[in-house]
Amino acid sequence: MPAKRKASSNVRGGTKIGRDSAASTPGPATPRSIGSSSDEYSDAEPSESEKENIKKNINTFSVENYKAKQKSHAVAGGMDSASHHFGANDFSYLSLKPDHDNRPLWIDPHKGRIILESFSPLATHAQDFLTTIAEPLSRPVFLHEYALTPHSLYAAVSVGLDPKDIINVLDRLSKIPVPENIRKFITSCTHSYGKVKLVLKDTKHYIESSDPEMLQRLLKDEVIGPLRVQGTEEITSASAPKMAGLVIPGTKNFAGVQQAQPEGTKPKEGEPVQQEDIVATLNEDDDDDEDADAVHHFEISDGAVEKVQKRCLGLGLPVLEEYDFRNDSRNANLDIDLKPSAQIRHYQEKSLSKMFGNGRAKSGIIVLPCGAGKTLVGITAACTIKKGVIILCTSSMSVIQWRQEFLKWSNINPSDIAIFTSDNKDKFARNTGIIVTSYSMVAQRGKRSYDSQKMMDFIQSREWGLMILDEVHVVPANMFRNVTSAIKTHSKLGLTATLLREDDKISDLNFLIGPKLYEANWMELAEQGHIARVQCAEVWCPMTTEFYSEYLRHSAKKKQLIWTMNPRKFQACQFLIDYHEKRGDKIIVFADNIYALKAYATKLNKAFIYGETGNAERMRILENFQHNDKINTLFLSKIGDTSLDLPEATCLIQISSHYGSRRQEAQRLGRILRAKRRNDEGFNAFFYSLVSKDTQEMYFSSKRQAFLVDQGYAFKVITHLQGIEELPNLAFSTPSERRELLQNVLIANDADIDDDDKGDDMFHMMDGKSKAKAKKKANARRTAGALSELAGGQDMAYVEQNKSKNKELKRKKGEHNPFFKKLQRDQEKRRKALDE
Amino acid sequence: MPRAIRGVLVECDPSIKSIIVKIDSEEHAFIVEDLDDQTLVIKENMLSVLKMRLDDALKETQQPPSDSGSD
Repeated sequence: MPAKRKASSNVRGGTKIGRDSAASTPGPATPRSIGSSSDEYSDAEPSESEKENIKKNINTFSVENYKAKQKSHAVAGGMDSASHHFGANDFSYLSLKPDHDNRPLWIDPHKGRIILESFSPLATHAQDFLTTIAEPLSRPVFLHEYALTPHSLYAAVSVGLDPKDIINVLDRLSKIPVPENIRKFITSCTHSYGKVKLVLKDTKHYIESSDPEMLQRLLKDEVIGPLRVQGTEEITSASAPKMAGLVIPGTKNFAGVQQAQPEGTKPKEGEPVQQEDIVATLNEDDDDDEDADAVHHFEISDGAVEKVQKRCLGLGLPVLEEYDFRNDSRNANLDIDLKPSAQIRHYQEKSLSKMFGNGRAKSGIIVLPCGAGKTLVGITAACTIKKGVIILCTSSMSVIQWRQEFLKWSNINPSDIAIFTSDNKDKFARNTGIIVTSYSMVAQRGKRSYDSQKMMDFIQSREWGLMILDEVHVVPANMFRNVTSAIKTHSKLGLTATLLREDDKISDLNFLIGPKLYEANWMELAEQGHIARVQCAEVWCPMTTEFYSEYLRHSAKKKQLIWTMNPRKFQACQFLIDYHEKRGDKIIVFADNIYALKAYATKLNKAFIYGETGNAERMRILENFQHNDKINTLFLSKIGDTSLDLPEATCLIQISSHYGSRRQEAQRLGRILRAKRRNDEGFNAFFYSLVSKDTQEMYFSSKRQAFLVDQGYAFKVITHLQGIEELPNLAFSTPSERRELLQNVLIANDADIDDDDKGDDMFHMMDGKSKAKAKKKANARRTAGALSELAGGQDMAYVEQNKSKNKELKRKKGEHNPFFKKLQRDQEKRRKALDE
Repeated sequence: MPRAIRGVLVECDPSIKSIIVKIDSEEHAFIVEDLDDQTLVIKENMLSVLKMRLDDALKETQQPPSDSGSD
């Protein structure tokens, strides 16, 4: 996939060069006259002479044009020697607009891909527009690629865009006239999508549409027709709601309303305020149109909702779910507002404005990088809706975090926000409130304890205004169906950083929650300092001969262990830890394999946490990592991949990973994106991925990087670490040590290797579900031997080698206990008194 | 009486050497002398055969390119 994507964009780059030059090469070689064809496209563009000037300037300064010049003659002629390279992707037949240099978009008529030149002055506008109508595929530095998909167009319609507007704006920005099939694609998709809405009003479900014919068609359908609630009039009409009046707290408008506070979310510096983005103006246009619109609806029974949705999908008319929360009088209002000190950032505002586009709450998914403030988006959404809210998180630890964040950012009464976990089953005090719980609690099947059953009944018997689904990508689709069917909510908001799964189940979410409403651009956020800038590097560690011979002989499972335990990798890891500790970085080392994790951590004498580490020990280690300047390195198994919040960490080393999982790579990177020091001058966080050369790991590694590369990250390849040989105490520097290591690896039994962490994240242990995974107790062992062995009679003495740093931390802590300190002091005093 | 075998000095990455050693371990027809991690002496007449076998082995160790052309 990654290689493919790169390759195809290269190819397109090539055609681009060709076409570019075909029309823009100055001089007599170009027979096209600009004047003749320009009247077709002359819409408010700079005058002819100005255009010429600009073009000339651009031409002189763009390298591509120089390169392309030699080819240009041939290209203009149609076929040339290079044509066959492009195959089906040869688009030289498409005609360029004469002023194409000023326009930033290319459109691929076959696949519906849009290529954006992000260095164009119009790029920011185009980008806003494209994120609305298309899905970003890849966003490196200079060229961005977007795909027009039915879902993305569906999302565009759901924020109120009109197909006509979409095509117009596309045409205005595109270098080539919008191809006919793309036009058709847009109109056909937008025609069917989002025309029918499912609205919950006064706990009754209505099918709503602005087009009465559509409703008639549905009513005549043999499945939907009978499901209509009898006794209501055919179709009732009402005026459509308007955006006017609704203000999302924390935004510019809100700041204007509450004049006391300073304006927090100003537009970027250097950007004039009047320069509203295209989308916003489009939205406004649309809102004006809507004033005149009337909507029509008919009622359906509650039980029929699912059936109607399915049927409509079958008819090619997916139903859009919206919640008119301001006119909902049945459900009590929740007294909640953002604190005046809470200012939401511009991208958070943008994502929320997509959700509340027309004054109603739409269901959907918001994609923001780790550490970019997803929680605050959720809280702001809750503050906007002001109804009962249920929040689902991945673990009981993040349940507690969510509650704390709510108390921190909003003025909600602490008794109105309750927690539902295996050891905490409160209800809120008044008639409405917020419940924070975890997926496993809600989706749990089978017998529950009395308390939790009672709580579940309570949750199911109520109607909720909003359901927030944290880390929505982790939820398997069927678990999700259980959750959504069990709880009646008006709207759903999914939050995630990485909307991808290797099993492609992600498209299910489109129907279970809603379309993707917003996806942030990682690079942009990094530039603005909202997340840390990260240097990514892939370190290639050669395999030693012995290890590679074993690698060739063994089964796939063992191979993985061998490439992880590669002594050169070990050395590289040691070197990097040493180097970064000296720089004052806090380092997290990730290892998927528990055997390797333990081996690395004990050998290097560092603290480590994995699935079986007890809760108290975890807390102690984490605290030490955060505050103790002697503990700068922490080894984590994959339980640390998500939800772990360690703003101190500035460097990340990955020694083993879960095959080609792009999500894991991105989530791990997320651990350092929220680095505290990110706004320091010239600060960089570091992400190293250690890879054993000539093994399958290389292939997995390139696969894993695909997502981050698409987000614009560039991976440097390091083949040799300067000065690694000079490092004192370098591990496994002699062949005999290496052989010993190899022996150890080979005799490590399969159970050890298999010992994969089942827990999905850091704090899963506390959840009711994983408690069932009881620790296996070591069985008693019988060995033959003499009694003198046990007594130390055979020259044996107890020595602890490769002590675990974890235990050291423990002991230190014990000594610092004030009680023992006092005891010590008393003893000393007594001793002194005796001496005298 | 000393015997002489014409050989070719092969210098390669440690990992490639392991592959060659593995190929050789089946019939011991290639390696004259195993010098160190990166150098070997190979029988001259077997060189072309070894190259072929090595190419095959490398093909195996490399992953097939990702699934299909369409995305």
